[in-house]
Amino acid sequence: MDLSDRRDVETEVYQPAEDSQLLAATTCERLNENDDESDADPPLVLEVGTGSGYVARRVDEETTARVIASDLNPHAVRQAREEGLETVRADLVSPFADEAFDAVLFNPPYLPTNPENEWDDWMERALSGGEDGRAVIDPFLENVGRVLAPDGVVYLLVSSLTGVDEVVERAGEEGFSAAAVADESFPFETLTVLELFR
Amino acid sequence: MKESLLDILRCPLDKHELELEDAEYGDDGEEVVGGDLVCTECGERYPVDDGIPNLLPPDMREETPA
Repeated sequence: MDLSDRRDVETEVYQPAEDSQLLAATTCERLNENDDESDADPPLVLEVGTGSGYVARRVDEETTARVIASDLNPHAVRQAREEGLETVRADLVSPFADEAFDAVLFNPPYLPTNPENEWDDWMERALSGGEDGRAVIDPFLENVGRVLAPDGVVYLLVSSLTGVDEVVERAGEEGFSAAAVADESFPFETLTVLELFR
Repeated sequence: MKESLLDILRCPLDKHELELEDAEYGDDGEEVVGGDLVCTECGERYPVDDGIPNLLPPDMREETPA
C-alpha cells in the first residue's frame, strides 16, 4: 500500500480512518481506567496533529479531560474548532508550557514515502513520514517529554509499515518505557497504540 | 480561544510566557477571537486568527504547500 491508495478526494484535511478510531477508543478507555476521583482537577490532554478533530472530540465527549487540539494545518484547526474544540495552530509541542499535560495523543504521519513521490500539499503532510516513516515521529519523541507532567503519558499510534520496534527503541533513547495497549490487524498493516511513560 | 489557555501557551522560540494584547472578544464576551499573543521575553507577536491562536514560529507562519 502506498500513499496514492490512501489518498482520498479530500485534499486539505485528513479524515478519520481506522487508525483514528483505534487511537480514540484506546485513549478514552485508558483515561477512564486511570481517572482518579480524588483528583480535584480533570486531566489536561493535548492532541497533536488533530486533523479533523475526531480523536480529540471523542476524548472530550467520553472522558472528564479538558482537551486541547493542535495542528500545523490551518484548514485542520479551523475544522477542529468548528467541532467545538479548543484549538491551537502549532508545530508539534513547541508552544506549550513545561509539564502542562497529563496525556499527549498523536496519530502521526507515518507512511514511508519515496521522496520522488511526494505531493507537497496538506494531505501529503498528513500522511507522509518521509523515507523511513519516522520523519515526524522522531522530533515528536525528542520534544514531548518537556510538556508532560511528571506522571504524564503519551498515546502514539504506530503502524507496522513504520516499524513498532524502531519507534519503541527511539522512545527508549528519550527516556520512555513503552507498552502496546491496543493493536488491530488489517490486510496491509497492523496498527498499534503505544503508551509511553517514564 | 479561552483566555485560560494562556496558562499553558508559551513562545515557541524561547518558551517564555505570552501576554494578550489588542484582544477582541466574541459575542459571548468571553472567547478571544482576535488580537496578538506577545512574548514577554523576545517580543515576538503571534496572531489570534478567527479565535485560533497561531503559535507557529515566524519562519513557518507563511508556509503553505502548493
